[in-house]
Amino acid sequence: MKSADGSFSDVDPVAAKQTIIDYCKKKGALAVGVADLAAIERIAPPGHRPSDLMPRVKSVISVGVGGQTAGVWSLPAKAMAYFGSTETRAYGVAYGAAFFIESRFGAPTIYCPPDMDPEGGPRVPLQSLKLHAELAGIGARSLAGDILLHPEFGYMYFASVFTELELPPDAPMAENPCPAPSCIDMYRKIGQTPCMKFCPVQCLSGEIDEAGKQKVMRYDMAKCAEMSQQYESVPAMIMDAIAAETPAAREDALFDPDNKMLWYKVSAGSGGWFAQCFECMRACPIATRAPAADPIRRMHLLRQVKAGQE
Amino acid sequence: MARGLTRAQIGVTEAMLRTFGEVVFGLSHNHQTRHGDPIRLQDWAEVERQREDMGLSDAQIAVRLGLTRDQVLFIRTLEERRRFRTGHYQRLLELGGGKRFRAEKFTPHLDRFRYSEAALALRAALAFDPRQVRAFVARGWWRDDTLTGWLARHASERPDAPALVQGEVVIGWRALQARAERLAGALATAGVAKGDVVSVQMPNLAEFAIAYLAICRLGAVLSTIYMPYRATEIESLLRHSRATAAICMATAKDWAPAATFVELQAKLPDLKAVIALGPGVPGALSLAGMIDTGTPLDAEVAPPPVAADPFLLLYTSGTTAAPKAVLHNYHTMLSNARLGASEHALTVADRVMSAAPFAHLFGLYSLHSAFFVGAASVLLPVFTPPEMAAAIARDVPTALWTGSAHIAACRALGLFDKFDLGSLKLAIMSGSACPPELVRWFAARLPGCAVTQLWGMTETQAALYTRPGDALEVAAQSAGRVSPGTEVRIASPDGTVLAPGEEGELQVRGCLLFPGYFNNDAANQDAFTADGWFRSGDLATIDAHGNVAITGRIKDVINRGGVKFNPRDIEDLLDAHPKILQSAIVPMPDPVLGERACCFVTLRPGAAALALDEVTQFLSQRNIARTKLPERLVIVPEMPLTPTRKIIKGRLVIP
Repeated sequence: MKSADGSFSDVDPVAAKQTIIDYCKKKGALAVGVADLAAIERIAPPGHRPSDLMPRVKSVISVGVGGQTAGVWSLPAKAMAYFGSTETRAYGVAYGAAFFIESRFGAPTIYCPPDMDPEGGPRVPLQSLKLHAELAGIGARSLAGDILLHPEFGYMYFASVFTELELPPDAPMAENPCPAPSCIDMYRKIGQTPCMKFCPVQCLSGEIDEAGKQKVMRYDMAKCAEMSQQYESVPAMIMDAIAAETPAAREDALFDPDNKMLWYKVSAGSGGWFAQCFECMRACPIATRAPAADPIRRMHLLRQVKAGQE
Repeated sequence: MARGLTRAQIGVTEAMLRTFGEVVFGLSHNHQTRHGDPIRLQDWAEVERQREDMGLSDAQIAVRLGLTRDQVLFIRTLEERRRFRTGHYQRLLELGGGKRFRAEKFTPHLDRFRYSEAALALRAALAFDPRQVRAFVARGWWRDDTLTGWLARHASERPDAPALVQGEVVIGWRALQARAERLAGALATAGVAKGDVVSVQMPNLAEFAIAYLAICRLGAVLSTIYMPYRATEIESLLRHSRATAAICMATAKDWAPAATFVELQAKLPDLKAVIALGPGVPGALSLAGMIDTGTPLDAEVAPPPVAADPFLLLYTSGTTAAPKAVLHNYHTMLSNARLGASEHALTVADRVMSAAPFAHLFGLYSLHSAFFVGAASVLLPVFTPPEMAAAIARDVPTALWTGSAHIAACRALGLFDKFDLGSLKLAIMSGSACPPELVRWFAARLPGCAVTQLWGMTETQAALYTRPGDALEVAAQSAGRVSPGTEVRIASPDGTVLAPGEEGELQVRGCLLFPGYFNNDAANQDAFTADGWFRSGDLATIDAHGNVAITGRIKDVINRGGVKFNPRDIEDLLDAHPKILQSAIVPMPDPVLGERACCFVTLRPGAAALALDEVTQFLSQRNIARTKLPERLVIVPEMPLTPTRKIIKGRLVIP
């Protein structure tokens, strides 16, 4: 329980961390880590640091849940939108973990809102879940717009838990799995990796050095947003309707099939609303073919591990 | 708004937006560049050095630029909105089945799918009665027929079977498809886009059929020009149709078609390309070269047409200021051809020849019918009686699209005795009402051939026909019954629907009917009844079995002192006169009676002079009332004829 100085001296941090990790994995997390809070505070800009959200935060726990089945990666691109909402599973794990920590250890804990900063306007999150996960050692920045990749689990969705319970931090990953060997080969031949080549809006570019490591990653987020942040089309649609010169043009601006889908997505909170473009990940060998990226293969691996232990 | 504050409250002006928009956007996270992997490696110096490259927060930009955070937030948000381009999501919709986006092959939707203003005007003219359309679809009359689809089917199912036969040249279905695909690609390269009109003035050559199929593959619209037309008429039609390309012969016997079209380009800004068959002509592209070397269209970039697309723009009369342009989509034309094929007993084994030019819809109907069943089209480039007879004997067609004038001319020259026409199993006679005795004679000469009549107009294609197996007298005395999907009625001038046996105007509606004349409201007002029936302008009677006899044209009716009569039956009698080859009776103004009958005739070869008395005596012996007898005779060397050999009475000038 919390002592007078605000610490939880009766809690063994190492054991508590393992208990929390076990809980999260039992609930479906593939990877769990604790980020170095000081590092986050040092890197995140003011207003977006964990302490800005939770002043007494001591630890940031990052949770990664699995991406897609091999079947999903083979779906037509438009269908991928509706599988993108598996990030809610990560939030579910984090939400449960926050309750678990409070009930088990008595430490005030929050599940970090995976949303825009209400004062920051569009394209500005409250917190960078990516930074938390990277520093927690469960993902490394890729050439695909800094999307995090994991050598074993590939492409994951992340959620964060802030707690006043002090837990020993993990280190970032020792190696970055991106670029994969096949991507290096492709880059050497055409100057592009698959994520760069097959991006529908060509928002990615970069360089790989002689050692096969990332040298430069360039990400035109504005272009990516044009593809993936469809909510920004809604005011544009209304502007078009206001500026329409004819009733037919006005009708089209509000009700043509594309725009009607936008209304649907607004009203239904459709999974296709955000980040519905997964083409860089669909082309990524790590995301799609990491040893445990596919839940089916993952189960097989786990069985093998279990059999080995027995 | 930033935290509910207006731009005025936070001091943002349009000038500030213009001044700082670009730099704020550039410093923000909208553009991110990372060198190496500094965060993972916790290389703090690099992290700090790269902050600006990685994208600053609004607060950091504010400090950097000397603005307030609210101002930066406002400027950034507005700048993002102003730069935001919508519609990219559509790029994902084409990435199915493991396909990846490829920038080098990508053509934006906005560039791929764009109709010209002229093309949209054509599409706007395709307005049908929605209740009728619902019925057409429910009955299965309107389906997904396109010539491109039919061609693909035959190319797949019978790739090497003959599709076109022109003398010794035989083109199989797969080869025909390949040539059409290449020409379609070449037309696109030449500037023809989906929905554009391509005018074609060519005889019934294989290249005509290839061009037709290529135009269709491209999603463009074929507009035919009759072969006799010259510069003035051609210019008028091209101007009205706003054709983007013209396909013609490089040379001709008495004029220079391609050079004429090239010259017209200076006056016709829409006419981007002139394409000629034959020797090279300056300013004209080579049709043969385009067929040989064109690059086939990519189906994803240029998808094939659909049945609702317009594909034919045909001119029915005149080249004056208000020509009657008939626009058809595949629904109307190909439903009629598909439904009619079995009625004509056509099969894939048939070989179809058309004596009518493809510039006329009756000629095109032969192609449509052959293309549906997969029969070979045996081409007769230009009709002359000897050439047709010789071609039938040589190329052994089984079905002949012809006009009564064609047969009459062959009979007059004794060609039925000189050539073996026994391959014919079906003859469809159209273009003008056939003299019954000609039908009887034709049927008697070819006992193995079903001689049938067909009535249609450019507005309808094949609306009425007799069927193989009908009694000879049905084919001799009527144009037959309605084609599937067609309705007809006979109406009086006041609109009353008349009973069987009563003469009145033939009116038509159905799945074959055009939607209206393009860009000619006046003509449309006259052409349709209030309840949507097309007024054919032909006089007809209908019998109890539904067989329709065409009895004349409304405007040909002669009003002699209040007594109105239709001269058609008199013309039929005159056509049997031993000296007369063709006859046409027209009204002649008269100060007392209003109108009298004037008879124009052409004489049979070698016939002696003919006098009016001989004519009236001949008719009187056949019990024709005196009031109907011609009161003037004009002998002309030849009749003005339509491409289907129908007499154009309006061009007969009384001297």
